[in-house]
Amino acid sequence: MANIALLLIFLPVLTAIVIYVLQPRRSHEIALVMQAVLTVFAVVYALHFQADFSETLIVIGGWEERIGISLLNDRLSLPFVFMSLFLWWMVLIYTYDEHDSSPTFLFFLLFLQGVFMGVLQTNDLFNLFVFLELMTIIVTVLIAFRKIGSSIRAGIYYLLINTAGVLAFLIGVILLYYSFGTLNIAAIGGEMAGHGDYRVIQLSFVLMMTGATVKAALFPLFSWLPKAHGAAPSPISALLSGIIVKAGIYMFIRLNDMFAPAGIEYETFFLIVGLATGFVGAVFAVLQTNIKELLAYSTLAQLGIILVGLVVMDGYSGGLLHVLNHALFKALLFLGAGLIVVVYRTKELAKIRGVAKSMPVTTVMMFIGMLSIAGAPLTNGYVSKSFITGALEGEPLLYYAVFLINVGSVAGFVKLSAIFFGEKKLSYPFSHIHKVLPLVLIAGACMAFGLFHVPLAETLLDVDLAHVSRFTLGGLLEFLVMVAFGALFVRFVLSRGFRTLARVGKFRLAFETANYLLVIYLAVLGVYFVLL
Amino acid sequence: MDPLLTFIVILVGFYGLATSNNIIKSVFCITIIESGIILLFLNLGNFEGGTIPIIGEDVVAIVDPLPQALMITTIVIGSTVTALALMLCIKLFHHYGSIEWSKIFGKGDAS
Repeated sequence: MANIALLLIFLPVLTAIVIYVLQPRRSHEIALVMQAVLTVFAVVYALHFQADFSETLIVIGGWEERIGISLLNDRLSLPFVFMSLFLWWMVLIYTYDEHDSSPTFLFFLLFLQGVFMGVLQTNDLFNLFVFLELMTIIVTVLIAFRKIGSSIRAGIYYLLINTAGVLAFLIGVILLYYSFGTLNIAAIGGEMAGHGDYRVIQLSFVLMMTGATVKAALFPLFSWLPKAHGAAPSPISALLSGIIVKAGIYMFIRLNDMFAPAGIEYETFFLIVGLATGFVGAVFAVLQTNIKELLAYSTLAQLGIILVGLVVMDGYSGGLLHVLNHALFKALLFLGAGLIVVVYRTKELAKIRGVAKSMPVTTVMMFIGMLSIAGAPLTNGYVSKSFITGALEGEPLLYYAVFLINVGSVAGFVKLSAIFFGEKKLSYPFSHIHKVLPLVLIAGACMAFGLFHVPLAETLLDVDLAHVSRFTLGGLLEFLVMVAFGALFVRFVLSRGFRTLARVGKFRLAFETANYLLVIYLAVLGVYFVLL
Repeated sequence: MDPLLTFIVILVGFYGLATSNNIIKSVFCITIIESGIILLFLNLGNFEGGTIPIIGEDVVAIVDPLPQALMITTIVIGSTVTALALMLCIKLFHHYGSIEWSKIFGKGDAS
């Protein structure tokens, strides 16, 4: 039964190889059947082990646990497993019967799923490095998949900066191996308390956290994210923003758990990093003129809120809840934006008008996504945001900082919503049920997480949300105030078309500068955690 | 060899990443960092008078075999990354006629 963990990794990979080598005529159907089998296995696995997760441990090859590669699932990894299964379902349905969905595309898509499952389940640091590098390589190919200039340059930018970050992570792994003589995450965590080489542990914490920061696109190492998300095909953007970026967040949690017995005080530093990420994301999101880049920067704003939720709350609960909710609504928005881009043949916000008349179903679903991300009552975004802000009641400064980030991201979506109004200008015939079905399903999931948040959070995350209500008058008022602020800002500041604002919105970090920031970030972390 | 020397190799790689405008040079800087890491790991696992870790007769003081096994994996991954990056470089040269970061990101839309 425990070997299902291996199956979750190798079944997608093997199917991918079969599809690529044999190139069968019905390759997409094969992928869907495989996905169904995988889901059944995952559900059986989770139900079987829900009482005691310590039995999920398997050591590959029958080696001793300290030496061999081992896989382990727990309350943290399983929600991620199910969320990624769900999103891959949606992307597989969305890309059905599309010219993009060649066997090559399916090969990389399914391979990525297997590798991502590996990242989530592994209990071995070097194995984690291998999976992270594999993930980087496959995502690069998927970003550059359309082989146009802008996607290739985004791909190489992503590849090189992520490799640099993951190599920093690898140095940390090596230092840990020489302090502990093992690479097993659980074993290292167990021996961490009172270990002699405290300086080496701190140094490896710094190096590994730098890797996690690059992977999670946190401030100041986020510059690859808007490029990659803007240039990738829309279903890949949805996967990237929904779940791949969360691999960095997952690493952050796992590493913090491992280093927790050493007693490193990371909270203040990463709180500042989270707030900075949120502000940068919110400010840049409002200033974008490209629909996919606006969504990409709003991912940054949400990542900031996620990090605040992770650091401030016990057991990472608020951040984890927001990770899952953000995966849903951001995937919904990217898939919807992909449809709009296909129909209108442009990504420029100013050129898209009248979506409500030409694509009514997509419009409704996009509005559900936008309300969720803005935190309107009765949606999942409201639940997790009020859960996080509820924990900040005692600290007004933090509370208002998060409130400001929210106002900024709401303003971005007020700006986005202009595309739905106006006269229907052009309409290409568009009637693909399999394109709209994923939008409806994800929007349904958003509403379900908003309406039945208590039982869902209880089963998925073991978090008690009974004190968070799905609708309060105060919450509604706060939401309306945010929308009003956002609308005023868009109406009176953005529509003036200030040159400076446009120039700030177009500002991008060059590759060298991003790497310079990587080194500086490493140095700052080193000074903060090792020397002070 | 002192492990600190390998740290210098790694730092040279990061310095190159932060300063070079040429994509090929950036790719090679990644390779340099990787070589530094491999040297560091093998160095830390080695000791004076250790023999190769192959079990046989009269083998007494073998070096730690794990770093060597792991570093082979790192080399494989590194070569994959290098190959992919260089392939993307060729494509970029066909599209933009240049392999300099500033020229490639200066053209077309800001993304």
